[in-house]
Amino acid sequence: MYLEGEGDAMTKPGNRFFAPENPLSNSLAPIKDELAVQIQHLNFAFGKGDLCKQVLFDISLNLPKGQIVILTGPSGSGKTTLISLIGALRTVREGSLRVMGQELADMRNADRVRVRQSIGFIFQSHNLFESLTARQNVEMAVELLGRFKSKRDQAEVILTQLGLADRMDHKPQALSGGQKQRVAIARALVNHPPLILADEPTAALDKQTSREVVTLMQTLTREQNCTVLMVTHDNRILDVADRIINLVDGQLESDTNPDAFINSHTYKNSKHDDAKMFIM
Amino acid sequence: MRRVPLAWLNLLHEKTRLLIAITGVAFAALLIFMNLGFRGALIQTTTMVYGQLNAEIILMSPRTLQISATTPFPRERLYQAAGIEGVERVMPLYVSYLLWRNPETRISRAMFTYGVNPQDPIFLMPELQSPEATKQLERPNTVLIDIRSRPEFGPQTIGLETEAGRRRVEIGGQYSLGGGFAADGTLIMSDQNFRRFFSPRTLETVDLGLIKLASGTDAQRIAQAMQARLPADILVLTKEEAIAHDRTYWLQTTSIGFIFGMGVVVSFVVGTMIVYQILFTDIRQHLPEYATLKAMGYRNPYLFRLVLQEAFLLALMGYVPGLIIALGLYQLTVKATAGSLPVSMSWERAVFVLSLTVTMCGVSGLISVRKAIAADPADVFR
Ligand SMILES: Nc1ncnc2c1ncn2[C@@H]1O[C@H](COP(=O)(O)OP(=O)(O)O)[C@@H](O)[C@H]1O
Ligand SMILES: [Mg+2]
Repeated sequence: MYLEGEGDAMTKPGNRFFAPENPLSNSLAPIKDELAVQIQHLNFAFGKGDLCKQVLFDISLNLPKGQIVILTGPSGSGKTTLISLIGALRTVREGSLRVMGQELADMRNADRVRVRQSIGFIFQSHNLFESLTARQNVEMAVELLGRFKSKRDQAEVILTQLGLADRMDHKPQALSGGQKQRVAIARALVNHPPLILADEPTAALDKQTSREVVTLMQTLTREQNCTVLMVTHDNRILDVADRIINLVDGQLESDTNPDAFINSHTYKNSKHDDAKMFIM
Repeated sequence: MRRVPLAWLNLLHEKTRLLIAITGVAFAALLIFMNLGFRGALIQTTTMVYGQLNAEIILMSPRTLQISATTPFPRERLYQAAGIEGVERVMPLYVSYLLWRNPETRISRAMFTYGVNPQDPIFLMPELQSPEATKQLERPNTVLIDIRSRPEFGPQTIGLETEAGRRRVEIGGQYSLGGGFAADGTLIMSDQNFRRFFSPRTLETVDLGLIKLASGTDAQRIAQAMQARLPADILVLTKEEAIAHDRTYWLQTTSIGFIFGMGVVVSFVVGTMIVYQILFTDIRQHLPEYATLKAMGYRNPYLFRLVLQEAFLLALMGYVPGLIIALGLYQLTVKATAGSLPVSMSWERAVFVLSLTVTMCGVSGLISVRKAIAADPADVFR
């Protein structure tokens, strides 16, 4: 299931974590095998010619395997665009973007689809099929890899881990918002993908449910040694992250650990109240 | 373990919409069945009489359109044909419409009338094989009546007297034939009576010439020889060719064939539009989910199959009730027309309509699937 790394990769031990003091530097980049995502000088623009609008500017960023990273920043700063590029949902044209060792720049659509099969996606809206039960929605992900024999067991195991043992045969209609989002997470995790991309997964949930959902996600991804990149504005869940990246106007502004991030932003925005500070 | 039957579950999920879709498909299938049924019955009824004619070769004027729209030709031609080898007997057949008065309502309607020489074994109907039938035919102002004539002509009791073509007429006997689209009722009378009722017409010109061949002869070959021998004012047809001749007239020259053909096309188009509407709505509503499937790594062929499967299921689910209702309406039609419109189901038609229904849904599926294929997986992140 895991995509193969490049054969020429060396096995020199490297920094598992990005040096927080110098976030934008690439000089200390660990070797490829240790990285789930490796981005170098990535630019991205929507449209062509006069209508061309650049959204991402010279992004360089490494995500080591097993790290839980939160991507935050003002609305319109390019967060969604960045993770849809990492998720092989859009074509990379300028710069380099490697996911699990595979170069996505100028990759053919058919190959991008294959890359996507090794990524778990979680969206703001759950996007579950209303016509399918929780179990069937999760099974759809397993079927993608052709595992028809084990799909039922796999779906049941992951749904049970997410506390939905007694909700497996319910359709989304009969589930609460938090339960639906947990089914969506189960669907993203069931194949044990090496990389999870989540775009504001808790935006539609209340405070307590958000906390539950994120904690479950954290526990399961830690167990699976899965890399997580999660966009969120929710400052109450920042503590689950190993690392927080702040994107402003398409450029990486900061890259720190949660404590440093909260301190620096509280300091900078001391005049503002907490709720406002990430939404801007 | 099998795949999650997503197409099936998607359809079942919205019961009301499914019901509308099934109704739409069923209705389209039903309309196609009715059009084909009427068309088939028309062909059958208009040519049914040929099946009851005791002849292998039929002579007619080249200007004859079909059996109820003939141009008479000289009786002389029949005698010429009689000389050809293999011919056992030549028999003139006179046809015309006669106004028949319903003795109860006193309303007159046109009866299609066959005039025959009572000695000629022209018809194969069992009722006409008895000496009694011949005796009745020979009586003046006496006719045999088709019991499949519409009830509007009044009672068909033997011995009943009424007025036809301003003459007294008596019913001398009955037979069962059916007049088809061209005739609401039929009569058989002797050539002598025919001359009386249709005066000033004489027996010198005939409408059809029936030729009975000796057994073991090749009708096709003799017909060719006959055509070569006779002048160009005569068309020589085998019975099968005559049936095809009439059928072509009804289907191609009259608007009737066109109307039913049009009916099939319109039903097909309406059905396609209904199914398209249903599938399109379904796809539009599920677009985020389809985009999600693509983001997860499902490819276009999967979506393609999914939509076509839904279309195929709709086709089957709509076809079955369409077929059942059509069978019911067929029976009702036969009853309402007292058997003169023999609408009946054939395997060929059932299979043909099934394939039309599947095509109909397939076409709508192919049109609407583009929407699903166009779902951009990047849209799942908003
Ligand atoms: N499909 C698109 N076409 C054109 N412009 C887009 C599209 N998607 C996003 N943008 C623009 O790109 C910028 C970044 O958007 P986005 O990545 O969604 O930001 P964020 O997720 O941080 O709110 C915004 O200015 C937005 O208007
Ligand atoms: Mg966004």
